[in-house]
Amino acid sequence: MTDTYSGSETAALSPSGARPKKRLHDRWLTFGTFAVLLGSWAAATGTGPWEPIISPLFLPSPALVVQTFLQLWENGFQGKSLGDHIGISLYRFSTAFFFCIVLGVPLGLLMGMNKRVRAIVEPPIQAIRPIPKIALLPLFLIWFGIGNLSKIIVISAPVFPIIAISAMQAVRSVSEKKIQAAQSLGAGRWTVFSRIVLPASLPGIFTGIRVSISIAVTMLVAAELTATSEGIAWMALTAAEFLATNIVIVAVLIMALIGFGLDRLFWFLETRIVHWSGKD
Amino acid sequence: MQIEPYECGTRCAPSEAKLAIEGVSKIYGAGAEAVVALTPMDLMVRDGDFLCVVGPSGCGKTTLLNLVAGFDTPTGGSIRLDGQEISGPGAERGVVFQQGALFNWMNVLENVAFGPRATGHSVAVAHERALRTLQMVGLEDFVQKYPYQLSGGMQQRVGIARALTNDPEVLLMDEPFAALDQQTREGLLGEIRDLWKRTGKTILWITHSIEEALFLATHIVVMSPRPGRVRAAFRSEFGTSEDPMVAVSPEFVAAKRQIIELLSAEAPKEVLAQ
Ligand SMILES: Nc1ncnc2c1ncn2[C@@H]1O[C@H](COP(=O)(O)OP(=O)(O)O)[C@@H](O)[C@H]1O
Ligand SMILES: [Mg+2]
Repeated sequence: MTDTYSGSETAALSPSGARPKKRLHDRWLTFGTFAVLLGSWAAATGTGPWEPIISPLFLPSPALVVQTFLQLWENGFQGKSLGDHIGISLYRFSTAFFFCIVLGVPLGLLMGMNKRVRAIVEPPIQAIRPIPKIALLPLFLIWFGIGNLSKIIVISAPVFPIIAISAMQAVRSVSEKKIQAAQSLGAGRWTVFSRIVLPASLPGIFTGIRVSISIAVTMLVAAELTATSEGIAWMALTAAEFLATNIVIVAVLIMALIGFGLDRLFWFLETRIVHWSGKD
Repeated sequence: MQIEPYECGTRCAPSEAKLAIEGVSKIYGAGAEAVVALTPMDLMVRDGDFLCVVGPSGCGKTTLLNLVAGFDTPTGGSIRLDGQEISGPGAERGVVFQQGALFNWMNVLENVAFGPRATGHSVAVAHERALRTLQMVGLEDFVQKYPYQLSGGMQQRVGIARALTNDPEVLLMDEPFAALDQQTREGLLGEIRDLWKRTGKTILWITHSIEEALFLATHIVVMSPRPGRVRAAFRSEFGTSEDPMVAVSPEFVAAKRQIIELLSAEAPKEVLAQ
Protein backbone atom coordinates (compact mmCIF):
# COMPACT_ATOMS: atom_id res chain seq x y z
CA MET A 1 0.00 0.00 0.00
CA THR A 2 1.92 2.98 -1.25
CA ASP A 3 -0.79 5.58 -1.57
CA THR A 4 -1.11 7.61 1.61
CA TYR A 5 -1.59 11.32 2.22
CA SER A 6 -0.43 13.67 -0.43
CA GLY A 7 1.35 16.70 0.94
CA SER A 8 -1.36 19.26 0.36
CA GLU A 9 -3.99 17.17 2.08
CA THR A 10 -2.01 16.77 5.29
CA ALA A 11 -1.38 20.50 5.34
CA ALA A 12 -5.11 21.10 5.39
CA LEU A 13 -5.48 18.83 8.40
CA SER A 14 -2.81 20.13 10.71
CA PRO A 15 -2.53 23.82 11.48
CA SER A 16 1.01 24.07 10.14
CA GLY A 17 2.69 26.43 7.72
CA ALA A 18 1.92 30.13 7.47
CA ARG A 19 -1.72 29.87 8.46
CA PRO A 20 -1.87 30.71 12.19
CA LYS A 21 0.37 33.73 11.71
CA LYS A 22 -1.91 35.13 9.04
CA ARG A 23 -4.97 34.54 11.16
CA LEU A 24 -3.41 36.44 14.08
CA HIS A 25 -2.60 39.27 11.70
CA ASP A 26 -6.23 39.40 10.53
CA ARG A 27 -7.36 39.51 14.13
CA TRP A 28 -5.27 42.59 14.80
CA LEU A 29 -6.84 44.26 11.77
CA THR A 30 -10.34 43.49 13.05
CA PHE A 31 -9.39 44.76 16.48
CA GLY A 32 -8.05 47.90 14.84
CA THR A 33 -11.38 48.56 13.11
CA PHE A 34 -13.20 48.50 16.42
CA ALA A 35 -10.55 50.61 18.12
CA VAL A 36 -10.85 53.29 15.41
CA LEU A 37 -14.65 53.26 15.64
CA LEU A 38 -14.63 53.55 19.41
CA GLY A 39 -11.93 56.26 19.26
CA SER A 40 -13.91 58.37 16.77
CA TRP A 41 -17.03 57.93 18.86
CA ALA A 42 -15.18 59.06 21.99
CA ALA A 43 -13.54 62.00 20.19
CA ALA A 44 -16.76 63.18 18.55
CA THR A 45 -18.67 63.09 21.83
CA GLY A 46 -16.14 65.16 23.77
CA THR A 47 -14.28 62.60 25.82
CA GLY A 48 -11.30 64.78 26.74
CA PRO A 49 -10.66 68.47 27.31
CA TRP A 50 -12.57 69.55 24.19
CA GLU A 51 -16.21 70.34 23.53
CA PRO A 52 -18.33 67.54 22.03
CA ILE A 53 -18.79 67.84 18.26
CA ILE A 54 -22.02 65.89 18.44
CA SER A 55 -24.46 66.80 21.17
CA PRO A 56 -25.11 64.04 23.76
CA LEU A 57 -28.77 64.43 22.85
CA PHE A 58 -27.97 62.69 19.56
CA LEU A 59 -24.94 60.63 20.53
CA PRO A 60 -23.87 60.21 24.16
CA SER A 61 -20.22 59.50 24.88
CA PRO A 62 -19.04 55.92 25.51
CA ALA A 63 -18.46 56.83 29.16
CA LEU A 64 -22.03 58.06 29.49
CA VAL A 65 -23.32 54.87 27.89
CA VAL A 66 -21.43 52.76 30.43
CA GLN A 67 -22.67 55.00 33.21
CA THR A 68 -26.25 54.70 31.92
CA PHE A 69 -25.92 50.94 31.81
CA LEU A 70 -24.77 50.85 35.45
CA GLN A 71 -27.61 53.15 36.46
CA LEU A 72 -30.16 51.02 34.67
CA TRP A 73 -28.67 47.94 36.25
CA GLU A 74 -28.98 49.58 39.65
CA ASN A 75 -32.39 51.26 39.36
CA GLY A 76 -34.15 49.50 36.52
CA PHE A 77 -36.32 51.22 33.93
CA GLN A 78 -39.92 52.29 34.42
CA GLY A 79 -40.49 50.18 37.48
CA LYS A 80 -38.79 47.01 36.28
CA SER A 81 -35.19 45.89 36.65
CA LEU A 82 -32.98 45.68 33.58
CA GLY A 83 -32.76 41.94 34.14
CA ASP A 84 -36.57 41.69 33.95
CA HIS A 85 -36.65 43.61 30.66
CA ILE A 86 -33.93 41.41 29.17
CA GLY A 87 -35.58 38.32 30.63
CA ILE A 88 -39.02 38.99 29.13
CA SER A 89 -37.50 39.73 25.72
CA LEU A 90 -35.41 36.57 25.88
CA TYR A 91 -38.52 34.63 26.88
CA ARG A 92 -40.50 35.92 23.86
CA PHE A 93 -37.58 35.39 21.56
CA SER A 94 -36.55 31.93 22.70
CA THR A 95 -40.08 30.55 23.01
CA ALA A 96 -40.72 31.59 19.40
CA PHE A 97 -37.38 30.22 18.27
CA PHE A 98 -37.80 26.97 20.17
CA PHE A 99 -41.19 26.21 18.64
CA CYS A 100 -40.01 27.21 15.18
CA ILE A 101 -37.18 24.69 15.42
CA VAL A 102 -39.16 21.94 17.14
CA LEU A 103 -42.06 22.19 14.66
CA GLY A 104 -40.38 23.67 11.59
CA VAL A 105 -37.50 21.23 11.25
CA PRO A 106 -39.64 18.06 11.35
CA LEU A 107 -42.18 19.63 9.01
CA GLY A 108 -39.40 20.60 6.61
CA LEU A 109 -37.94 17.10 6.80
CA LEU A 110 -41.36 15.63 6.03
CA MET A 111 -41.81 18.02 3.13
CA GLY A 112 -38.43 17.00 1.80
CA MET A 113 -39.12 13.28 2.14
CA ASN A 114 -42.69 13.11 0.95
CA LYS A 115 -44.08 14.58 -2.26
CA ARG A 116 -47.63 14.67 -0.99
CA VAL A 117 -46.78 16.51 2.22
CA ARG A 118 -44.82 18.93 0.07
CA ALA A 119 -47.78 19.43 -2.28
CA ILE A 120 -50.04 20.19 0.67
CA VAL A 121 -47.79 22.35 2.83
CA GLU A 122 -45.33 24.11 0.55
CA PRO A 123 -47.68 26.34 -1.52
CA PRO A 124 -49.26 28.05 1.51
CA ILE A 125 -45.85 28.59 3.10
CA GLN A 126 -44.46 30.00 -0.13
CA ALA A 127 -47.54 32.21 -0.53
CA ILE A 128 -47.13 33.66 2.96
CA ARG A 129 -43.39 34.19 2.65
CA PRO A 130 -43.37 37.49 0.73
CA ILE A 131 -45.91 39.15 3.04
CA PRO A 132 -44.12 41.58 5.38
CA LYS A 133 -44.86 39.98 8.73
CA ILE A 134 -44.83 43.27 10.63
CA ALA A 135 -47.99 44.18 8.71
CA LEU A 136 -49.67 41.21 10.33
CA LEU A 137 -49.00 42.45 13.86
CA PRO A 138 -52.37 44.27 14.20
CA LEU A 139 -54.13 41.09 13.09
CA PHE A 140 -52.17 38.99 15.56
CA LEU A 141 -53.10 41.45 18.32
CA ILE A 142 -56.79 41.00 17.47
CA TRP A 143 -56.53 37.24 17.17
CA PHE A 144 -54.12 36.37 19.95
CA GLY A 145 -54.61 39.23 22.40
CA ILE A 146 -52.13 41.74 23.74
CA GLY A 147 -50.23 39.21 25.85
CA ASN A 148 -47.04 37.38 25.04
CA LEU A 149 -48.73 34.96 22.62
CA SER A 150 -49.20 37.55 19.88
CA LYS A 151 -45.57 38.61 20.29
CA ILE A 152 -44.29 35.07 20.09
CA ILE A 153 -46.36 34.54 16.98
CA VAL A 154 -45.17 37.67 15.22
CA ILE A 155 -41.57 36.62 15.86
CA SER A 156 -42.33 33.11 14.59
CA ALA A 157 -44.12 34.34 11.46
CA PRO A 158 -41.00 34.88 9.33
CA VAL A 159 -38.73 32.44 11.21
CA PHE A 160 -40.91 29.36 10.86
CA PRO A 161 -41.05 29.34 7.03
CA ILE A 162 -37.32 29.97 6.75
CA ILE A 163 -36.49 27.06 9.04
CA ALA A 164 -39.04 24.70 7.45
CA ILE A 165 -38.08 25.53 3.87
CA SER A 166 -34.36 25.30 4.56
CA ALA A 167 -34.85 21.87 6.17
CA MET A 168 -36.87 20.80 3.14
CA GLN A 169 -34.21 22.01 0.74
CA ALA A 170 -31.52 20.33 2.81
CA VAL A 171 -33.32 17.00 2.48
CA ARG A 172 -33.90 17.45 -1.23
CA SER A 173 -30.26 18.17 -1.90
CA VAL A 174 -28.99 15.04 -0.15
CA SER A 175 -26.82 13.26 -2.67
CA GLU A 176 -28.73 10.51 -4.48
CA LYS A 177 -25.49 8.53 -4.60
CA LYS A 178 -25.22 8.39 -0.81
CA ILE A 179 -28.78 7.12 -0.55
CA GLN A 180 -28.13 4.50 -3.23
CA ALA A 181 -24.93 3.47 -1.46
CA ALA A 182 -26.86 2.94 1.78
CA GLN A 183 -29.59 0.97 0.02
CA SER A 184 -26.99 -1.25 -1.63
CA LEU A 185 -25.56 -1.96 1.80
CA GLY A 186 -28.94 -3.27 2.88
CA ALA A 187 -30.44 -0.20 4.57
CA GLY A 188 -34.23 0.05 4.70
CA ARG A 189 -36.29 3.23 4.61
CA TRP A 190 -35.90 4.09 8.27
CA THR A 191 -32.14 3.50 8.33
CA VAL A 192 -31.74 5.57 5.17
CA PHE A 193 -33.63 8.40 6.85
CA SER A 194 -32.03 8.30 10.27
CA ARG A 195 -28.45 7.58 9.28
CA ILE A 196 -28.17 9.23 5.86
CA VAL A 197 -30.85 11.82 5.10
CA LEU A 198 -31.00 13.36 8.57
CA PRO A 199 -27.26 13.79 9.17
CA ALA A 200 -26.71 14.90 5.57
CA SER A 201 -29.37 17.60 6.03
CA LEU A 202 -28.01 18.96 9.31
CA PRO A 203 -25.62 21.51 7.76
CA GLY A 204 -28.48 23.02 5.73
CA ILE A 205 -30.74 23.05 8.78
CA PHE A 206 -28.10 24.88 10.81
CA THR A 207 -27.70 27.45 8.05
CA GLY A 208 -31.45 28.10 8.11
CA ILE A 209 -31.40 28.54 11.87
CA ARG A 210 -28.46 30.94 11.80
CA VAL A 211 -30.00 33.01 9.00
CA SER A 212 -33.19 33.41 11.01
CA ILE A 213 -31.51 34.65 14.20
CA SER A 214 -31.04 38.21 12.94
CA ILE A 215 -34.56 38.18 11.48
CA ALA A 216 -35.94 37.05 14.82
CA VAL A 217 -34.14 39.89 16.63
CA THR A 218 -35.67 42.35 14.13
CA MET A 219 -39.10 40.88 14.76
CA LEU A 220 -38.56 41.23 18.51
CA VAL A 221 -38.43 45.00 18.03
CA ALA A 222 -41.62 44.87 15.97
CA ALA A 223 -43.30 42.70 18.58
CA GLU A 224 -42.53 45.15 21.39
CA LEU A 225 -43.69 48.20 19.42
CA THR A 226 -47.09 48.22 21.03
CA ALA A 227 -49.27 46.56 23.61
CA THR A 228 -46.58 45.98 26.20
CA SER A 229 -44.70 47.87 28.91
CA GLU A 230 -41.70 45.64 29.28
CA GLY A 231 -38.91 44.17 27.18
CA ILE A 232 -35.60 45.42 25.97
CA ALA A 233 -36.88 46.67 22.58
CA TRP A 234 -39.80 48.37 24.31
CA MET A 235 -37.26 50.06 26.56
CA ALA A 236 -35.44 51.45 23.51
CA LEU A 237 -38.67 52.62 21.87
CA THR A 238 -39.94 54.27 25.06
CA ALA A 239 -36.62 55.97 25.83
CA ALA A 240 -36.59 57.34 22.27
CA GLU A 241 -39.91 59.07 22.93
CA PHE A 242 -38.29 61.38 25.48
CA LEU A 243 -34.97 61.56 23.64
CA ALA A 244 -32.99 59.54 26.19
CA THR A 245 -30.46 58.56 23.51
CA ASN A 246 -28.12 57.05 26.09
CA ILE A 247 -30.77 54.52 27.17
CA VAL A 248 -31.65 53.77 23.55
CA ILE A 249 -28.01 52.97 22.83
CA VAL A 250 -27.68 50.72 25.87
CA ALA A 251 -30.80 48.80 24.78
CA VAL A 252 -29.62 48.53 21.18
CA LEU A 253 -26.22 47.25 22.30
CA ILE A 254 -27.89 44.65 24.50
CA MET A 255 -30.00 43.45 21.56
CA ALA A 256 -26.94 43.34 19.34
CA LEU A 257 -25.17 41.31 21.98
CA ILE A 258 -28.09 38.87 22.22
CA GLY A 259 -28.09 38.38 18.44
CA PHE A 260 -24.33 38.04 18.30
CA GLY A 261 -24.26 35.66 21.26
CA LEU A 262 -26.91 33.42 19.74
CA ASP A 263 -25.15 33.39 16.39
CA ARG A 264 -21.89 32.37 18.09
CA LEU A 265 -23.71 29.72 20.10
CA PHE A 266 -25.19 28.10 17.00
CA TRP A 267 -21.93 28.54 15.14
CA PHE A 268 -20.20 26.69 17.97
CA LEU A 269 -22.83 23.92 17.94
CA GLU A 270 -22.50 23.72 14.16
CA THR A 271 -18.74 23.22 14.21
CA ARG A 272 -19.16 20.58 16.91
CA ILE A 273 -22.13 18.69 15.49
CA VAL A 274 -21.70 19.06 11.73
CA HIS A 275 -17.91 19.01 11.52
CA TRP A 276 -18.16 17.57 7.98
CA SER A 277 -20.13 20.53 6.64
CA GLY A 278 -18.91 21.71 3.24
CA LYS A 279 -16.22 19.03 3.02
CA ASP A 280 -17.66 16.85 0.29
CA MET B 1 -1.39 -14.81 -24.23
CA GLN B 2 -4.27 -13.22 -26.06
CA ILE B 3 -7.92 -12.25 -26.20
CA GLU B 4 -10.45 -14.24 -28.16
CA PRO B 5 -14.02 -13.35 -29.14
CA TYR B 6 -16.87 -15.16 -27.42
CA GLU B 7 -20.65 -14.90 -27.37
CA CYS B 8 -21.38 -13.13 -24.09
CA GLY B 9 -25.12 -13.77 -24.31
CA THR B 10 -24.92 -17.52 -24.83
CA ARG B 11 -21.82 -18.29 -22.84
CA CYS B 12 -23.86 -20.55 -20.60
CA ALA B 13 -27.49 -21.32 -19.90
CA PRO B 14 -29.18 -18.60 -17.83
CA SER B 15 -29.69 -21.15 -15.07
CA GLU B 16 -25.92 -21.66 -14.81
CA ALA B 17 -25.11 -17.98 -14.70
CA LYS B 18 -24.42 -16.05 -11.52
CA LEU B 19 -25.84 -12.95 -13.15
CA ALA B 20 -28.19 -13.47 -16.10
CA ILE B 21 -29.03 -10.42 -18.19
CA GLU B 22 -31.59 -11.32 -20.85
CA GLY B 23 -32.96 -8.96 -23.47
CA VAL B 24 -32.44 -5.97 -21.20
CA SER B 25 -33.11 -2.57 -22.72
CA LYS B 26 -33.49 0.90 -21.31
CA ILE B 27 -35.23 3.91 -22.79
CA TYR B 28 -35.19 7.17 -20.82
CA GLY B 29 -38.13 9.50 -21.27
CA ALA B 30 -40.93 9.05 -23.77
CA GLY B 31 -42.17 10.34 -27.11
CA ALA B 32 -39.97 12.75 -29.01
CA GLU B 33 -37.57 13.12 -26.09
CA ALA B 34 -36.96 9.40 -25.61
CA VAL B 35 -33.31 8.38 -25.35
CA VAL B 36 -32.43 4.80 -26.16
CA ALA B 37 -29.65 4.24 -23.62
CA LEU B 38 -29.49 0.48 -24.08
CA THR B 39 -30.79 -1.69 -26.93
CA PRO B 40 -31.78 -5.23 -25.91
CA MET B 41 -28.69 -7.03 -24.68
CA ASP B 42 -27.85 -10.48 -23.36
CA LEU B 43 -25.02 -11.07 -20.93
CA MET B 44 -24.22 -14.15 -18.87
CA VAL B 45 -21.78 -13.70 -16.00
CA ARG B 46 -20.52 -16.80 -14.25
CA ASP B 47 -19.46 -17.14 -10.66
CA GLY B 48 -15.95 -15.74 -10.18
CA ASP B 49 -15.84 -13.83 -13.46
CA PHE B 50 -14.12 -10.49 -13.54
CA LEU B 51 -16.16 -8.85 -16.27
CA CYS B 52 -15.20 -5.45 -17.59
CA VAL B 53 -17.63 -3.42 -19.63
CA VAL B 54 -15.66 -0.97 -21.73
CA GLY B 55 -16.79 1.70 -24.13
CA PRO B 56 -16.79 5.43 -24.81
CA SER B 57 -18.82 7.86 -22.77
CA GLY B 58 -22.57 7.69 -23.39
CA CYS B 59 -22.70 4.06 -24.53
CA GLY B 60 -24.87 2.99 -21.60
CA LYS B 61 -22.32 1.53 -19.17
CA THR B 62 -23.67 3.36 -16.15
CA THR B 63 -27.21 2.60 -17.26
CA LEU B 64 -26.38 -1.11 -17.30
CA LEU B 65 -24.76 -0.99 -13.87
CA ASN B 66 -27.67 0.99 -12.38
CA LEU B 67 -30.08 -1.64 -13.67
CA VAL B 68 -28.07 -4.46 -12.12
CA ALA B 69 -27.74 -2.50 -8.88
CA GLY B 70 -31.51 -2.02 -8.86
CA PHE B 71 -31.35 1.79 -8.83
CA ASP B 72 -33.42 1.81 -11.99
CA THR B 73 -35.75 -0.64 -13.73
CA PRO B 74 -35.21 -1.92 -17.27
CA THR B 75 -37.66 -0.96 -20.00
CA GLY B 76 -37.61 -4.56 -21.22
CA GLY B 77 -36.01 -7.90 -20.38
CA SER B 78 -34.96 -9.36 -17.07
CA ILE B 79 -31.95 -9.40 -14.78
CA ARG B 80 -31.51 -12.26 -12.37
CA LEU B 81 -28.90 -12.92 -9.71
CA ASP B 82 -28.70 -16.60 -8.71
CA GLY B 83 -32.07 -17.04 -10.39
CA GLN B 84 -33.71 -14.24 -8.40
CA GLU B 85 -35.25 -11.39 -10.36
CA ILE B 86 -33.76 -8.03 -9.31
CA SER B 87 -36.39 -5.62 -8.07
CA GLY B 88 -34.38 -2.96 -6.22
CA PRO B 89 -31.08 -2.31 -4.45
CA GLY B 90 -29.92 -5.07 -2.12
CA ALA B 91 -27.03 -6.09 0.08
CA GLU B 92 -26.15 -9.07 -2.14
CA ARG B 93 -24.99 -6.60 -4.78
CA GLY B 94 -22.22 -4.37 -3.41
CA VAL B 95 -21.68 -1.11 -5.29
CA VAL B 96 -18.53 0.99 -5.40
CA PHE B 97 -19.06 4.49 -6.78
CA GLN B 98 -16.63 6.80 -8.50
CA GLN B 99 -16.58 9.33 -5.66
CA GLY B 100 -18.70 11.20 -3.18
CA ALA B 101 -20.62 8.20 -1.87
CA LEU B 102 -18.93 7.90 1.52
CA PHE B 103 -20.80 9.06 4.59
CA ASN B 104 -18.91 12.12 5.81
CA TRP B 105 -20.61 12.14 9.20
CA MET B 106 -19.24 8.70 10.01
CA ASN B 107 -15.62 7.82 10.52
CA VAL B 108 -13.94 5.14 8.40
CA LEU B 109 -14.86 2.34 10.77
CA GLU B 110 -18.53 3.38 10.94
CA ASN B 111 -18.68 3.71 7.16
CA VAL B 112 -17.35 0.22 6.65
CA ALA B 113 -19.45 -1.24 9.47
CA PHE B 114 -22.61 0.32 8.02
CA GLY B 115 -23.47 -2.72 5.88
CA PRO B 116 -23.46 -5.34 8.62
CA ARG B 117 -25.30 -2.92 10.93
CA ALA B 118 -27.97 -2.26 8.28
CA THR B 119 -28.41 -5.98 7.69
CA GLY B 120 -29.11 -6.61 11.35
CA HIS B 121 -25.78 -7.53 12.92
CA SER B 122 -24.65 -6.31 16.34
CA VAL B 123 -22.19 -3.45 16.69
CA ALA B 124 -19.51 -5.88 17.89
CA VAL B 125 -19.90 -8.18 14.89
CA ALA B 126 -20.10 -5.25 12.48
CA HIS B 127 -16.92 -3.69 13.84
CA GLU B 128 -15.06 -6.97 13.78
CA ARG B 129 -15.97 -7.53 10.13
CA ALA B 130 -15.20 -3.95 9.23
CA LEU B 131 -11.76 -4.18 10.82
CA ARG B 132 -11.04 -7.33 8.88
CA THR B 133 -11.80 -5.76 5.48
CA LEU B 134 -10.08 -2.53 6.45
CA GLN B 135 -6.98 -4.59 7.13
CA MET B 136 -7.37 -6.20 3.71
CA VAL B 137 -7.20 -2.80 2.00
CA GLY B 138 -4.46 -1.52 4.31
CA LEU B 139 -6.49 1.06 6.22
CA GLU B 140 -6.34 -0.39 9.72
CA ASP B 141 -4.48 2.69 10.98
CA PHE B 142 -7.15 5.11 9.74
CA VAL B 143 -10.31 3.75 11.34
CA GLN B 144 -10.96 6.88 13.40
CA LYS B 145 -10.43 9.31 10.50
CA TYR B 146 -13.31 10.91 8.66
CA PRO B 147 -13.53 10.44 4.87
CA TYR B 148 -12.74 14.11 4.20
CA GLN B 149 -9.46 13.67 6.03
CA LEU B 150 -8.27 11.04 3.54
CA SER B 151 -6.72 11.28 0.09
CA GLY B 152 -8.81 10.33 -2.94
CA GLY B 153 -7.14 6.94 -3.25
CA MET B 154 -7.76 6.10 0.39
CA GLN B 155 -11.39 7.18 0.07
CA GLN B 156 -11.84 4.70 -2.77
CA ARG B 157 -10.31 1.99 -0.59
CA VAL B 158 -12.86 2.79 2.09
CA GLY B 159 -15.58 2.45 -0.55
CA ILE B 160 -14.23 -0.91 -1.63
CA ALA B 161 -13.87 -2.13 1.96
CA ARG B 162 -17.42 -0.98 2.70
CA ALA B 163 -18.84 -2.95 -0.22
CA LEU B 164 -16.75 -6.03 0.64
CA THR B 165 -17.74 -6.13 4.31
CA ASN B 166 -21.24 -7.30 3.44
CA ASP B 167 -19.68 -10.22 1.57
CA PRO B 168 -21.89 -9.58 -1.48
CA GLU B 169 -22.49 -12.07 -4.28
CA VAL B 170 -21.29 -9.58 -6.88
CA LEU B 171 -19.35 -6.35 -6.75
CA LEU B 172 -20.53 -3.62 -9.09
CA MET B 173 -17.99 -0.91 -9.78
CA ASP B 174 -18.64 2.11 -11.99
CA GLU B 175 -15.30 3.63 -13.01
CA PRO B 176 -14.17 3.58 -9.38
CA PHE B 177 -10.71 5.00 -10.10
CA ALA B 178 -11.55 7.46 -12.88
CA ALA B 179 -11.19 10.49 -10.62
CA LEU B 180 -7.77 9.48 -9.28
CA ASP B 181 -4.35 10.47 -10.53
CA GLN B 182 -2.48 8.05 -12.77
CA GLN B 183 -0.02 6.80 -10.15
CA THR B 184 -2.62 6.16 -7.48
CA ARG B 185 -4.86 4.44 -10.01
CA GLU B 186 -2.14 2.08 -11.19
CA GLY B 187 -1.32 1.09 -7.62
CA LEU B 188 -4.96 0.43 -6.80
CA LEU B 189 -5.55 -1.57 -10.00
CA GLY B 190 -2.85 -3.99 -8.90
CA GLU B 191 -4.51 -4.30 -5.52
CA ILE B 192 -7.92 -4.94 -7.05
CA ARG B 193 -6.43 -7.77 -9.05
CA ASP B 194 -4.96 -9.30 -5.89
CA LEU B 195 -8.21 -8.79 -4.03
CA TRP B 196 -10.15 -10.58 -6.75
CA LYS B 197 -7.70 -13.49 -6.73
CA ARG B 198 -7.94 -13.78 -2.97
CA THR B 199 -11.71 -13.48 -2.62
CA GLY B 200 -12.86 -15.03 -5.90
CA LYS B 201 -15.68 -12.50 -6.05
CA THR B 202 -17.74 -12.01 -9.16
CA ILE B 203 -17.00 -8.48 -10.33
CA LEU B 204 -18.79 -6.28 -12.85
CA TRP B 205 -16.39 -3.45 -13.58
CA ILE B 206 -17.24 -0.44 -15.72
CA THR B 207 -14.49 1.52 -17.41
CA HIS B 208 -13.79 3.63 -20.45
CA SER B 209 -10.16 2.53 -20.43
CA ILE B 210 -9.32 -0.41 -22.68
CA GLU B 211 -6.03 -0.88 -20.88
CA GLU B 212 -7.76 -1.09 -17.52
CA ALA B 213 -10.15 -3.72 -18.89
CA LEU B 214 -7.31 -5.78 -20.37
CA PHE B 215 -5.30 -5.60 -17.18
CA LEU B 216 -8.14 -6.70 -14.91
CA ALA B 217 -10.69 -8.77 -16.73
CA THR B 218 -11.31 -12.38 -17.50
CA HIS B 219 -14.08 -11.20 -19.81
CA ILE B 220 -14.38 -7.93 -21.69
CA VAL B 221 -17.61 -6.62 -23.17
CA VAL B 222 -17.07 -3.78 -25.63
CA MET B 223 -19.99 -1.40 -26.05
CA SER B 224 -20.65 1.42 -28.49
CA PRO B 225 -23.00 4.38 -28.29
CA ARG B 226 -26.03 5.81 -30.08
CA PRO B 227 -27.80 3.59 -29.38
CA GLY B 228 -25.96 1.80 -26.55
CA ARG B 229 -25.24 -1.77 -27.55
CA VAL B 230 -22.77 -4.64 -27.19
CA ARG B 231 -20.26 -4.43 -29.99
CA ALA B 232 -18.14 -7.45 -29.21
CA ALA B 233 -16.99 -9.57 -26.30
CA PHE B 234 -13.65 -11.17 -25.53
CA ARG B 235 -12.27 -13.70 -23.17
CA SER B 236 -8.94 -12.44 -21.88
CA GLU B 237 -5.94 -14.13 -20.31
CA PHE B 238 -4.14 -10.99 -19.22
CA GLY B 239 -6.20 -10.54 -16.08
CA THR B 240 -4.96 -13.78 -14.60
CA SER B 241 -1.37 -13.38 -15.74
CA GLU B 242 1.33 -13.64 -13.07
CA ASP B 243 3.70 -11.46 -15.08
CA PRO B 244 3.99 -8.07 -13.34
CA MET B 245 5.01 -6.51 -16.65
CA VAL B 246 2.06 -7.90 -18.55
CA ALA B 247 0.64 -4.46 -19.28
CA VAL B 248 3.68 -3.54 -21.38
CA SER B 249 4.05 -6.88 -23.18
CA PRO B 250 3.71 -6.94 -27.00
CA GLU B 251 0.66 -9.24 -26.77
CA PHE B 252 -1.08 -6.78 -24.45
CA VAL B 253 -0.42 -3.93 -26.85
CA ALA B 254 -1.63 -6.05 -29.77
CA ALA B 255 -4.86 -6.86 -27.92
CA LYS B 256 -5.39 -3.21 -27.11
CA ARG B 257 -4.89 -2.39 -30.78
CA GLN B 258 -7.43 -5.03 -31.74
CA ILE B 259 -10.08 -3.44 -29.53
CA ILE B 260 -9.28 0.11 -30.61
CA GLU B 261 -9.60 -0.89 -34.26
CA LEU B 262 -12.87 -2.56 -33.50
CA LEU B 263 -14.25 0.54 -31.82
CA SER B 264 -13.17 2.85 -34.62
CA ALA B 265 -14.49 0.61 -37.40
CA GLU B 266 -18.09 0.91 -38.50
CA ALA B 267 -18.54 -2.77 -39.38
CA PRO B 268 -21.53 -4.58 -37.88
CA LYS B 269 -21.10 -6.68 -34.79
CA GLU B 270 -21.57 -10.09 -36.47
CA VAL B 271 -18.61 -9.64 -38.77
CA LEU B 272 -16.32 -8.50 -36.00
CA ALA B 273 -17.23 -11.29 -33.65
CA GLN B 274 -16.00 -13.89 -36.16
N1 LIG C 1 -31.59 9.70 -16.23
C1 LIG C 1 -31.40 9.84 -17.56
N2 LIG C 1 -32.34 10.49 -18.30
C2 LIG C 1 -32.17 10.64 -19.64
N3 LIG C 1 -31.13 10.18 -20.33
C3 LIG C 1 -30.17 9.53 -19.67
C4 LIG C 1 -30.25 9.33 -18.23
N4 LIG C 1 -29.15 8.64 -17.85
C5 LIG C 1 -28.42 8.44 -18.95
N5 LIG C 1 -29.02 8.96 -20.06
C6 LIG C 1 -28.53 8.88 -21.44
O1 LIG C 1 -28.31 7.54 -21.75
C7 LIG C 1 -27.12 7.37 -22.48
C8 LIG C 1 -26.18 6.43 -21.76
O2 LIG C 1 -25.72 7.05 -20.59
P1 LIG C 1 -24.76 6.34 -19.53
O3 LIG C 1 -25.30 5.01 -19.19
O4 LIG C 1 -24.54 7.27 -18.41
O5 LIG C 1 -23.42 6.20 -20.39
P2 LIG C 1 -21.94 5.89 -19.90
O6 LIG C 1 -21.94 5.54 -18.45
O7 LIG C 1 -21.47 4.78 -20.77
O8 LIG C 1 -21.15 7.14 -20.17
C9 LIG C 1 -26.54 8.76 -22.68
O9 LIG C 1 -26.91 9.21 -23.96
C10 LIG C 1 -27.19 9.56 -21.60
O10 LIG C 1 -27.33 10.90 -22.00
MG1 LIG D 1 -20.87 6.40 -16.74
